[in-house]
Order: sequence, then structure tokens, then C-alpha cells
Amino acid sequence: MSNDGTELLRRMAGGDRDAFAAFYDAYAPLAFGLIRRILRNAAEAEEVFQEVFWEIWQSAADYDPKRGSPEAWVVVRAKSRGIDRARAIRRRSEMTAGALTQVVTAAREPGRDPGVGAEERGAVRGALGQLPQNQREIIELAYFDGLTQTEIAGRLNQPLGTVKTRMRLGMDKLRSLMGPRR
Amino acid sequence: MSPTHEPFDELAACYALGALDGDDLTRFEAHLARGCTECEHALAQCREALVQPAVDLREVPPPRVKRALMERLARSRARRPRPARLGPGLKWVASVAVAAGLIASVVATYVSARYEQRLGEMAREASALREQISQQRQALALLRDPATRIITLAGLEPSPKAQGRMIWNERDGGILVAGGLPPAPQGKAYELWAVVGGKPIPAGLFGVDAEGRGSARVEPLAGGPEVAQFAVTLEPAGGVPAPTGPMYLASK
Repeated sequence: MSNDGTELLRRMAGGDRDAFAAFYDAYAPLAFGLIRRILRNAAEAEEVFQEVFWEIWQSAADYDPKRGSPEAWVVVRAKSRGIDRARAIRRRSEMTAGALTQVVTAAREPGRDPGVGAEERGAVRGALGQLPQNQREIIELAYFDGLTQTEIAGRLNQPLGTVKTRMRLGMDKLRSLMGPRR
Repeated sequence: MSPTHEPFDELAACYALGALDGDDLTRFEAHLARGCTECEHALAQCREALVQPAVDLREVPPPRVKRALMERLARSRARRPRPARLGPGLKWVASVAVAAGLIASVVATYVSARYEQRLGEMAREASALREQISQQRQALALLRDPATRIITLAGLEPSPKAQGRMIWNERDGGILVAGGLPPAPQGKAYELWAVVGGKPIPAGLFGVDAEGRGSARVEPLAGGPEVAQFAVTLEPAGGVPAPTGPMYLASK
């Protein structure tokens, strides 16, 4: 799939719309699921997702296969746009920030809430589910909520050094899980 | 691996997650700027590692999104809607984008990722500017037409200080510019009415910015009948077929 993506991006750089349609079919679910997880509001997520793919079309020529897979390229863009929007929403309204805190607090107590969305259970079963809970929660706060290390330390009331170490251990574990995939 | 490199491994992991801040961020970016293949490799690895959690969340978007994107692609006349293809008035945007592109190609991976993001922002900005220029061209063409009238709308009871101008041409439609209106409350929008033969015909919806300014492109009415009067009322956001709300602006 990676090779296909690279070839499609090369054709998109030349203005090939059919290549874009094929690239969309292959990679849209990857970006959309992530943005949905970051934004939770369906309308906001759809808008940001569409912007991400529009940018992908416009900047296909910037993709350099030597620097990483098309998957990673798409994920970095989806994450950064999603987090940008999430931060803008948080700035826009104190109330939203309050709601986010509630969501985060609820997510921190695994198994407590049977109403947790299917996508969230999926994530826990997947790669992130293989991490110890104290690493997973930190990575999730950074990845899905866009919090920085200092914000996470404050949120979880943990020393900054502990947060950084756990984040690194979690990333090491995720890297080790990549083995069979590629 | 040199022992002095150890702290950067930790910083690289946090950086890939976008979680570095403060002195750590400054320190790590300075380290990267000096060129560290070890860290670049670690960052690339981390970015690949972050793919799997996204794979676990895969969700097919609604089909309408793809339709909308494909239509947008078809509409963009340029094969690749890059700033470089813009009109002469926007050449500076293009040259900035090209310069940014050149820089991105010669600096380290992390820096180019940032420029890519900025290029995306510039592309969006350029598309907004293009839209503005196209609106202004339409306005100019409209003003050059001898059949075009400029109609003044005066503020009424709810906002006596509000004002509006309608640049109107029966054949081509027109442009409404309004100022001094209070922002429409949640779930409401301003609706423009064209009065023809004593009957108000809905002519479009618009909102106003924080300063109370709004504008709307108004399509010509079917059959091009002569409009005797324009008025603006506050209505439910989706618009209504006949006015129900308070009137904010009206022409004589």
C-alpha cells in the first residue's frame, strides 16, 4: 500500500484527479478516524478533514518518500490540523475547555464508563491498548487532546520529568510494535 | 550512541507527539538545526509509530465529503491550484510561497514539515484573496453598467444607525453592503427582500461580523422584474419564504 500511495502522490503532483480519488479511497479513513477522535464534534471534524485532503491535493509535490511513508505524512497533517482546530475551539470558549477537562477526566478511568465511544474502545484494544495505562494516558493527552508536556504534568499532577519519561517509554513501545506491520 | 545524546532521545519522542514546550523545545530545535541524523531518524521512526493508533481508529467519512472535494477539484481551473498560478496582483504571495518552498527543500526534515504547514496556510490565504478579487471584479463590472442603480437602505427602529447600499442591476443582480447592524443572535440571520409589484421576494441571507458589517452577492430575480424597494429583516437562520421578523433596513 505504501508504494501505491507514493505512486498516487507522484501522479497527484502532476494534477491527476483520478489519482487523488484513489488516494482518497485508500487514506481517507485513516485521517477521518483520527480527526473524529481529536474533535468529537462531527461537523467540525468533517470540515477539518476536508481541509486536510484539500491541502494534500495542493501539496502532493512536497511529499518525499525518503522522509517517511504516505501514511505517516497523512497522519501528521490530520493530527496537526485537528489539534489546531481543537485548540482554537478551546480558546473560543471557556465552557468548551471545561467540557474537555470532563472528557479527559472520564477517559482517565478505564472501564469506569461503559458509554465510552466505540472508537475509543477500538484504540484501547489496538496499539495504544498495549501500553501500560500510565504511559497510554499521557500519549493520548498529547496525541488526541494536543496538550504539551507541561500541560499534561499539570493535568495529571505528575512531575514533568515523570511525564517525559513515560511519554518516551510509550513511544519506544509503539515503535517496537511497528515491526510486524512493515 | 554518545552518552551526551541521551536527553535528546527523550525529547525526540515528545517532539514527535507535538508535546515539547518551553526550554526543552528551544533546546531540541537548536540541536536539530545543528543537524543530527540520529534525531532525524528517531523522529521519522516516531512518526511511523504514530500511524498504528490512527489505523486502529479508521473510519470511512460520509460519501458527501468526497463528492464535495471532487467538485472543488473540478472547479479549480488550474491543474494544481498553487499560489504560483495566481493573477498578477497576487504575485508576491506566489513568490513568498516559492521562496518558502525552496527553503523547505534545503533544510532539515523537521523544518520542512513546518514550512509545508505554512505553505498550506498560504494556499488557504491565497484562495481567500482570490475569492475577494473575484468579488471586487464583479462589483466593478456591475458599476460600469449604465443600467446599474445604487439604492440606499436606511436603518429602522431596532437599529436606527444601521445603513445599507444596494448596487443593483435587474439583469445581473447585485451586491448588498450593510453596516451598523447588531450581530444576528444564535439561529438567526438577516434576510434581504426585493419588493416587486408590492410583494416581497426572498433575495438572500447574510450575517454580519463583530463590527456589524455584512455583504452579500444577490442573484438576479427570475425574469428580471423591476424591483421597487429592498428591505432587510431578521429571520430564522435557514431563511423564510415571506418576512416574519422585525425589519432592520429598508430603501425608500
